[in-house]
Amino acid sequence: MPLWFLRGLRRGVVTTHYPARPDPSAAGLPTPPAFSPLHLDRRIADHLCGICPSRALRREDDMLIFDVGCCTACGRCRDAAPEAVTVSGEFELAATGRASLVKHIPLFREAQA
Amino acid sequence: MTSDRSPQPSAAGQQRAEDPGISMAAAGGDQERMVAGRLRDTIASQFGRSLHIRTLDTGSCAVCEQEIRLLAAPHYDLHRLGFFFTPAPRHADLLMVTGPAIRAFDVAARKAYDAIPGPKIVIATGACALGGVYPADAFTHSAVDAIFPVDVWVPGCPPSPLALLQGLLVAVNRLAEKSAAMSFIADDPAEGVPG
Repeated sequence: MPLWFLRGLRRGVVTTHYPARPDPSAAGLPTPPAFSPLHLDRRIADHLCGICPSRALRREDDMLIFDVGCCTACGRCRDAAPEAVTVSGEFELAATGRASLVKHIPLFREAQA
Repeated sequence: MTSDRSPQPSAAGQQRAEDPGISMAAAGGDQERMVAGRLRDTIASQFGRSLHIRTLDTGSCAVCEQEIRLLAAPHYDLHRLGFFFTPAPRHADLLMVTGPAIRAFDVAARKAYDAIPGPKIVIATGACALGGVYPADAFTHSAVDAIFPVDVWVPGCPPSPLALLQGLLVAVNRLAEKSAAMSFIADDPAEGVPG
């Protein structure tokens, strides 16, 4: 009997059970950021909009508009404002409407001079 | 194997075209919606059994293609779910488009889209195809929906094979989409409002 057959038997099934059960490898995927409104003010928001390389962030008055479809999960916003930006961990992002990928994040904190 | 399967979508398409339910669609709003819903369910159930995917690269950096290729690897094994890759658009039910839709590719992209027998599904794959990376200019349309109608958007740069798998399953109505319900607002620890 070929050796690879025995080795395969020993290792078991490696195929993911993804739709039925969550895949453990999903934990290591780069995912878009999640924002905490309590730690965001206009100054931080403008800074994040400026460093976003893929135009995923823009600010309209007291609303940070995050286009998940444009986000490349580069992590620059998280590095720039670690207290306000965390990793969402969401990878199941497929949408049937483009508009449902545009998220509005309110800015709760007053701008500090 | 492909030649065995390819007559199925066209035969199913003819059967649907002769469905008397479609001619009733003009009767009224509710009935129209009901017929449309039934039609959508029929299409989804027929697509759900076996679906052939054609990938179309409209100027991507090829990392999306690498992730798409990984779908056929043993770990993801999309064949277990009834999805297959086909090299010809005429055998395909679904067009998976990557890249920012460069203008030089307009004619070829349109030909590939027109060659797919209807009903067809278009998935825009990756941040380029969703308009995130390249702004519209003389070279690109920026997003794929400028050249043909898109049914499912899969974000990511590149989208991981799991994200692509979810996108495919959303496209054939086997998984519900989640992204509309996500807020991307982090749950703050209970430490009170600063300032």
